[in-house]
Amino acid sequence: MQTPLTSTRVMPGRLRRLWDSDIAWSYRRSPVAIVASLVATAVVVAAVFAPWVAPYNPFDAATLDLMEGFSPPGEPSPVTGRVFLMGTDGQGRDVYSAILYGSRVSLLVGFCSVLFSVALGVTLGLASGYIGGRIDALIMRIADIQLSFPAILIALLVFGVARGLIEPAYHEQGAIAVLIVAIGLSHWAQYARTVRGSTLVEKNKDYVLAARVMGRPMSAIMRQHILPNVIGPVLVIATINLAVAVIEEATLSFLGVGVPPTQPSLGTLIRVGQQFLFSGEWWILFFPALALVILALSINLLGDWLRDALNPKLR
Amino acid sequence: MTAAVLSVRNLTVAFPTRRGTLTAVDGVSFDIMPGEVLGVVGESGAGKSLTGAAIIGLIEPPGRIAGGEVRLADERIDHLRPEALRRIRGKRIGMVFQDPLTSLNPLFRIGDQLVETITTHTDMSSAQARQRALSLLSEVGIPAPQQRIDNYPHQLSGGMRQRVVLALALAAGPELLIADEPTTALDVSIQAQIIALLRTLCRQRGLAVMLITHDMGMIAEIADRVAVMYAGRIVEIGPLHSVIRSPLHPYTRGLIGSIPTIDSDKDRLVQIPGSMPRLTAIPHGCAFHPRCPRAFAPCPTHRPELKDQAHAQVACWLYHEAPSAT
Amino acid sequence: MSTGPFLQVDNLGCVFDVSRRWLNRVIEGLPRRLLRAAAGVTFSIERRETFALVGESGSGKSTVARMMVGLIAPTTGDVVIDGVSMTDPRQARERRRLRQRIQMVFQDPYASLNPRWRARDIVAEPLRAYGLAGTRQDIDAEVGALLPLVGLDPADGAKYPHEFSGGQRQRIALARALASRPDFVVCDEPTSALDVSVQAQTLNLMRDLQERFGLTYLFISHNLAVVRHMANRIGVMYLGRLVEVADARELFGAPKHPYTRMLLAAVPDLTLSGRARKAVAGEPPSPIDPPAGCAFHPRCPHARDQCRTELPQLAVVQSSQVACHGVAEGWIPASPSGA
Repeated sequence: MQTPLTSTRVMPGRLRRLWDSDIAWSYRRSPVAIVASLVATAVVVAAVFAPWVAPYNPFDAATLDLMEGFSPPGEPSPVTGRVFLMGTDGQGRDVYSAILYGSRVSLLVGFCSVLFSVALGVTLGLASGYIGGRIDALIMRIADIQLSFPAILIALLVFGVARGLIEPAYHEQGAIAVLIVAIGLSHWAQYARTVRGSTLVEKNKDYVLAARVMGRPMSAIMRQHILPNVIGPVLVIATINLAVAVIEEATLSFLGVGVPPTQPSLGTLIRVGQQFLFSGEWWILFFPALALVILALSINLLGDWLRDALNPKLR
Repeated sequence: MTAAVLSVRNLTVAFPTRRGTLTAVDGVSFDIMPGEVLGVVGESGAGKSLTGAAIIGLIEPPGRIAGGEVRLADERIDHLRPEALRRIRGKRIGMVFQDPLTSLNPLFRIGDQLVETITTHTDMSSAQARQRALSLLSEVGIPAPQQRIDNYPHQLSGGMRQRVVLALALAAGPELLIADEPTTALDVSIQAQIIALLRTLCRQRGLAVMLITHDMGMIAEIADRVAVMYAGRIVEIGPLHSVIRSPLHPYTRGLIGSIPTIDSDKDRLVQIPGSMPRLTAIPHGCAFHPRCPRAFAPCPTHRPELKDQAHAQVACWLYHEAPSAT
Repeated sequence: MSTGPFLQVDNLGCVFDVSRRWLNRVIEGLPRRLLRAAAGVTFSIERRETFALVGESGSGKSTVARMMVGLIAPTTGDVVIDGVSMTDPRQARERRRLRQRIQMVFQDPYASLNPRWRARDIVAEPLRAYGLAGTRQDIDAEVGALLPLVGLDPADGAKYPHEFSGGQRQRIALARALASRPDFVVCDEPTSALDVSVQAQTLNLMRDLQERFGLTYLFISHNLAVVRHMANRIGVMYLGRLVEVADARELFGAPKHPYTRMLLAAVPDLTLSGRARKAVAGEPPSPIDPPAGCAFHPRCPHARDQCRTELPQLAVVQSSQVACHGVAEGWIPASPSGA
């Protein structure tokens, strides 16, 4: 009488269902989404595989030739004759390779800081919404205070405090970690707010009551029941925030408080390139800035599409 | 021979989706005479609310009226522009919806809402309109209307609010009232009061009423004629006593048999197997045939039309000459 | 196994504090506002019996149900199920074991199942929560046996709730309730959100399950016809108090309390028998500010001075219990329903 639950007639192919779903259909119909995701993927892949994709390693001092410095894009260098796609900077570093390596750092910091703020924000939001009472009041007041400050200022503050706490010897090694924490801490509040709102709605629903009747512990209910139902908007915010985090990192690096000079990011490249803008070597600034814009824009557009696609009212 | 207040012929409402066009209301026809209450009954998904919405032109796009016509006192209204329809709504057709909380604007006093409706649709001045509002409020049974008229909706109970909604619907003196589940959100004792009120008001004003509901009990209290809807079609329509005492269509029989009553302790309720088909999977031929205990040869292939039978009209091959089966 | 009724509710009461926040109260000079959701509720349920609590909104029936399963802590009184108290802190361990034998089915089939869980995980949750099945295979086997019990295909276990209709979801909820092999199931308006024909299927199913597994039901509803079909004994609640407790036949055949009579008179007559229908006057008062004495007196056609000042207690009248001065003292005539 009973057919085993793993019988094949149960699932008509997960991939097929994904392709047929509303989200995939919305994706296929949106040229913006397709282009944006392709661009973003290309950039991310290129950045991740930078050591293999980049024609040169711009940070290996041994391969640099000062004589190749300031070569314009596309033209052979006067001394060695090598052609650099996007030109070289003052030290002879290939701008194109520098962008690839720089994107790596930017994306690393971006992803990790978003992960950090999501983890922190969602946890606090869940606790705040479900437990309520004083914990809720405390967390939300802290969030309120934080949201009244610009994110950059908070990141600067965290960075400064960390600098003071960590011994100078470890500044460089810890810089990226501190940067991730700083940017992460400046963004957790909006996740917490959103998740708290959704949690307040979900916790009164009957399926949560049913779990409470069963005597499930609070942590299990929050983790297994409420979390899957409130995580949707978080994904959208996180995607858009990725672009923001990348730009924020670039800003901090531009200001000189971001990544150390040994691991330049796009922001560092822009800072360096800024010096040469008016002396004629425009390509040192232009291409890294363009790369940052393309990266941030494509991620942003992807996030926009995702938000609209997941919005049931627009479907 | 008095003309029907509302005349609907072959009304079809369709929703284009990426999976194809879904027909939610399929060729529905009926008349309502002045002073008559027609109860449109059916379960969820039968298309009865959409029929009401189509008549007053409130179908949300991408849904649209895909065929048929709607006539109000012999003038066609289904093809009117939104502006013209808006003028008809309120003036000649009154509407009462299920949830009184959302039918009334919580930010305005009920007196103001009444006066606004009256002055929009009639030539009265504000002062005259306020007098009229007061008399309407007492007509719908609100005690101490002089004080209540300046209340906000949240200061009234559910039953009172629904009475105000009724007053609003009747404010401009319409010929037709469409009520969609008007008492479902209310307590049982209040339901009885509102239904009695509705019945009195209709008799007094000679109003034609289209009462849309899933509650057979309400129909039994107030309707003169009943139309039973299933999967977007009318399967049976006739006088109240005929449909309830001697239902013809197997669905109507099953429906009435499955309702528990306080008068007898049935051992087992009549059970219709399965459930109402989704819009994407309406069966061919007679939409009810997969669940019908009496389905036979022509049912899966030929769709029956409403035809006269005894005192009512029924769409079922059990009663009419079936085409030769293919 | 204790003697006496399976379940005993004793003077159960619950008061909610709905005052505005402390700061507002101090600044605006507002009094505390207390909502007496239930008070002095006392009844018992025998094994394998279906006891129904009926009442309109504000009657407190849902609050009582939730107190009985431990979702809300009672302010006064106690619930004793099979000898175990639901409030006594010394019986915490017995209560944990008892929990397994109590389950609840909710009204809204669209909100009582987690939309992100598959049906089989929803049904298996009690098994996992109480450690009733160890391995994945055991759980799958149990679920595979439970789903057909409620008329679903075992293959349906892989689907998500949105793929099911309202009636089917309620079946899944029933399967979940049965998973821990409970003795006692509290059903809070289980069919109110369903279509009539689906309701019939669900009610028939619930009766079959009760027979098969010897279940005891507490059935909450506002629909008297449904209650007539399902219940052996019925308690009528008004504004947080029980006004009448009687056998089903007795209640429908010879209702005693004026409110019960009015409720029955308000039920629509589907047989078109021409039964006289009288609409009930007035509306249920607010539970925050209840009338003094008997809460029903503003709407009662027989009210006297005594009713306005003195709260009636549940007293045995013939084979029912009624909380009414008129009935207890005999100045309200006993007559067949409808008068």
